[in-house]
Amino acid sequence: MQTATETQLKRKLMSSAQPDDPDHAAALLALVATEQSRQAFSELFSYFAPRLKAYATRQFGNEQTAMDLVQETMTNVWNKAHLFKPDRGSASTWIFTIARNIRFDFLRKNKHRQHDLSADELWPVLAEQNDSLDDDYALDDDLLMQQLATYCELLPKAQRTVIELIYVEGKSQQEVADALGIPLGTVKSRTRLALQKLRELIHSDD
Amino acid sequence: MIKFHPNEEHLFHYVTGDLSPALLMMVGTHVDMCPRCQEQVRDIEAMVATKLFGQTQVPQDFSAANDSFDNDAMLQQIMAQTPTHKASDSAHNALVDELVLEGKRFKLPATLARSHHRIGEWHKLIGHMWRAPVQIGGDDVLTFIYMDKGTKVPEHTHKGREATLVVNGVFNDETAEYRDGDFVFLDGSVKHTPETRDEDCLTLAALDAPMHFTSGLSRLLNPFSSLFFK
Repeated sequence: MQTATETQLKRKLMSSAQPDDPDHAAALLALVATEQSRQAFSELFSYFAPRLKAYATRQFGNEQTAMDLVQETMTNVWNKAHLFKPDRGSASTWIFTIARNIRFDFLRKNKHRQHDLSADELWPVLAEQNDSLDDDYALDDDLLMQQLATYCELLPKAQRTVIELIYVEGKSQQEVADALGIPLGTVKSRTRLALQKLRELIHSDD
Repeated sequence: MIKFHPNEEHLFHYVTGDLSPALLMMVGTHVDMCPRCQEQVRDIEAMVATKLFGQTQVPQDFSAANDSFDNDAMLQQIMAQTPTHKASDSAHNALVDELVLEGKRFKLPATLARSHHRIGEWHKLIGHMWRAPVQIGGDDVLTFIYMDKGTKVPEHTHKGREATLVVNGVFNDETAEYRDGDFVFLDGSVKHTPETRDEDCLTLAALDAPMHFTSGLSRLLNPFSSLFFK
């Protein structure tokens, strides 16, 4: 049985769209990632390979090097399609960043200089753990939320329910009272007790 | 709030990989720290990608480009491989993202953390300044400079261009105050005297020529400027 997304993907694939349509290209990449679809990859290849070659020929002025860049880029697209994150940019942007990295390394490869930077260090486009360090600065809030979630687990069930309805679902205290069929005063005291308990838990961990 | 950013040209050439290695590291580190420039980088990447891949027809001059893919040999060769989803580069998981100096710990932005192994030994300079080279190849020089609080760098100009990025802390010069993430780019004509006041400051500096000291006794330092940046 096919999942809904797969059916959706297939439908996109069947349509007459070209890979220059971002949604279509992203759908093709998803098919390569999930089921190594040769049909999807062939379509991507026939669109991107000549364009990559045009780019690489301009950059290197050398047919063989240009073909090497095409091959290495498209090999990564085939092997690493699962690393494409549609929310971070389009398929063609992702493929450009792969080609950019390969070009960067090609330009340094022949010099055999010690200490030369590698493209992966500058732009970890194909690192499996791409998220971990990149988002460090943005991640603090997430970490805090995760920690808070753990602390919430430690609250008595009645208090936890109230906290979740107010702070996760964004309900007002009156709405919570109505939803749970309890007096508003009870909601207020449970909230107060829960926050007090959370404060203690956070401080005891410091 | 970051006040000083790389200019658009820097960001564009960061995206295409056409800056010197030292500047690529500097701009990359700034981008790690700066949501605004992250967004600009994404826009530039998308723009370049559209320019490269957006055209419906491959340009005429490259019609030959199409022919080279006619027999499908490359396509078949690629698809003969079985994709592996394993994290092959587990080295990335063990990244060191801290810098320890004089008992102080500094958190390194991702670009620097990935290049942690390139950071050399710390050396004490005059006064309360320390420096450590970052070995990245190329002709220009990338250096960490740490200034303890209340440190003044002698007035100097640069024969080449200097880019400075505040990794942590704050410093001042004649014109402004620079804090975490601020990126300053100076060319040879600018004289300046950086100093720290109540806080210490860790910066990353890229130079494409040695510093040239211009004032009083510090002129005597010039022969030794290679000590700063070699």
